[in-house]
Amino acid sequence: MVRERETPFDDEQARFSAGVLGMWILLAVLAVLFVAAILGYLAVRIDNGSAFIPANAPSLPLLLLVSTAFLVLSSLTMQMALRAARTGGASQGRMMMATLGLALGFLVVQALAWRGLLAEDFGPTGSLYAWTFFVLTALHGAHVVGGLPPMVITTWRASRGAYTPENHRGIAYCAMYWHFLDGAWLVLYATIWLGSIR
Amino acid sequence: MTTLDTRPHITDEVPGNYLTFRRGILSWIFTLDHKRIGVMYLVAVLSSFFVGGVMALLVRTKLLFPGEVSWMTADQYNKAFTLHGAIMVFLVIIPSIPAALGNFVLPIMLGAKDVAFPRLNLFSFYLWVMGAACAVYSLLAGGFDTGWTFYTPYSSQFGAGGTIPVLVGVFILGFSSIFTGLNFIVTIHKLRPPGMTWFRMPLFLWAVYATAIIQVLATPVLGITVALLVVERAFNIGIFDASMGGDPVLFQHFFWFYSHPAVYIMILPGMGIISEIIAVHSHRHIFGFRFIAFSSIAIAIFSFLVWGHHMFTSGQSPLMNVLFSAITFSVAIPSAVKVFNWLATLYKGSISLNTTMLYGLAFIFLFTIGGLTGIPLAVLSTDIHLHDTYYVVAHFHYVMMGSALIAMVGGLHHWWPKMTGRMFSEFWGRIGCTLVFVGFNVTFFTQFMLGSQGMPRRYYAYQPEFKMYHHISTGGSYIMGIGFVITAIYLIHSLFAGKKAPANPWGGASLEWQCSSPPPHDNFATTPRVGDCYDFSAVHWDEKLQGYVVDTEAHVAAARSDSASGKGH
Repeated sequence: MVRERETPFDDEQARFSAGVLGMWILLAVLAVLFVAAILGYLAVRIDNGSAFIPANAPSLPLLLLVSTAFLVLSSLTMQMALRAARTGGASQGRMMMATLGLALGFLVVQALAWRGLLAEDFGPTGSLYAWTFFVLTALHGAHVVGGLPPMVITTWRASRGAYTPENHRGIAYCAMYWHFLDGAWLVLYATIWLGSIR
Repeated sequence: MTTLDTRPHITDEVPGNYLTFRRGILSWIFTLDHKRIGVMYLVAVLSSFFVGGVMALLVRTKLLFPGEVSWMTADQYNKAFTLHGAIMVFLVIIPSIPAALGNFVLPIMLGAKDVAFPRLNLFSFYLWVMGAACAVYSLLAGGFDTGWTFYTPYSSQFGAGGTIPVLVGVFILGFSSIFTGLNFIVTIHKLRPPGMTWFRMPLFLWAVYATAIIQVLATPVLGITVALLVVERAFNIGIFDASMGGDPVLFQHFFWFYSHPAVYIMILPGMGIISEIIAVHSHRHIFGFRFIAFSSIAIAIFSFLVWGHHMFTSGQSPLMNVLFSAITFSVAIPSAVKVFNWLATLYKGSISLNTTMLYGLAFIFLFTIGGLTGIPLAVLSTDIHLHDTYYVVAHFHYVMMGSALIAMVGGLHHWWPKMTGRMFSEFWGRIGCTLVFVGFNVTFFTQFMLGSQGMPRRYYAYQPEFKMYHHISTGGSYIMGIGFVITAIYLIHSLFAGKKAPANPWGGASLEWQCSSPPPHDNFATTPRVGDCYDFSAVHWDEKLQGYVVDTEAHVAAARSDSASGKGH
């Protein structure tokens, strides 16, 4: 059977540069999505003033600082993996493994933070304040979870040294997405923190 | 007329076109070929158009009677018009031109082998299918009766049982649209062959590019909005819930921040098609190329700044109303730039009054009415009276249906020979177009009268004084329905019994007319040479081929000397 063409590009470089542009557009799409969510939050937060925060609301979980550290670190290891791939270095696999581990760590800590709030009877349906906290963190968490399958594949391929100076498309796209999620979380965290001040 | 079978190098002679390249159902299901994906979209979109059209006819038939009817309750009526609106907007008009026709012709017009990401393209199509499946499931789960706008708090706290499934469907369809837009932007940036500069690019591609920018930047807002609405409906709490300190009007802001640009997602590619049709079928260089091209970009930019004009009666501040009203007026400028340039192209052109051109002219006429009737809606004082009346219904049908869909049908005729390799019946084509045009005006012009006299939209019953207008309007919708049925019949008939199409039946000079009909799998054997796609001086009728041929040498040479002398477009 005649095989169909998987890409219209004749050379790897052109294909890569198209892929990078495509990734930038995808990140723009996700950025609009996060910005819209943040604006929606700010609208109701500012509308209600300090009455938005119920009197018995606990302060923001300190665990968020831990998860933030995990995510920032994972961004660093991701960049080191990419650098190794660009030079064909053997550490690409180890670095990807570390990134994946830190990503899972981030999710676990976020879940612990959630559990802590639930234990304090601060569930999402109790008030709009709690609701927005859970929805915004879940929105970001969903994007982290969505990034895991490509991350696992990339880690598996990197551990076999699949990425070379000539072809490291997969790991480069992964890195773009991961840095975006890192940045998005920092903005989101700052917003939630500002919103938590009475 | 000479018999056609004796002609050389017609489709049969081409060693395999995209339809015969591979065979079997699996070769379609897993295809990565932009042409096949375009055809699958086309079949899907036209099937949805049929369902949405039947819903429209049911609604109009109910409105023959001012009161209750035995065969449709008020609740069913609400569901029928909601289904009509949601299907036509999300399943038909938004994907019709970019995803169906655009997918087919964009890479060929550009001179590329495919879109930049063929797999993502196929994925977009299956997202569309999943979105449509959610809508069908929603019907089984009780349907939805919120109107296509899903306004809160009705949608979040009341509404029929199928509201959540259809919102999930809209979310998925949004991502289908986003991925198509992403693909087209990258394709246009990265796959232009040598010589295909931005200002050598056909205006259809400019329009699709502008559309893609809107798809990519506006649709995510719809995504997050319906996601928040789904969660709110499921858990009974959310930022649109006033009892918790939320704001239902916030939903309207979010919704229209997408859905107003979405209007331009629907109309811009239609305008692109009209630029092609008007130039090719009047055999005259498009007038004001750069103005038309940049007006597409201008419309795309303005589209993000006018959403508040849907909310003049929502209680937003008077200052906001004034600002949105003023910016709305400014949209008239790029729109009128296009209309005047099309008219200037027609002037002294050698106009072929064929079916395709009739649709093109119908577009200009209907779009002008649609645009001008928008002015009283942008004026704050008159809008208070006209808001939520049939006047609004008539206005947006002139733009959405009379313009966007008519352009889509025109484009379908324009590229039909290219897509299928067959010619349709001109005789029946003209009859079909005339019936659609007449039926459309009878249906919707009447509704301007209804609305300005105070008939509210979406009402099941009405006062006796509106009866005559409703009857005329319903009669018009039947005429239109007959027109579309005739169109469907002769198009399907042409697949089996139509004359074989030459490569260039209309005398076009853009690249898609320079590959065979239907195109081969790879579109072009060698990288095509690019001339001025609106320079028809090197296009000649060939009696033997029963089609036009482009003298490529002369065509490219003319373009070169133009750019050398700085004439260009």
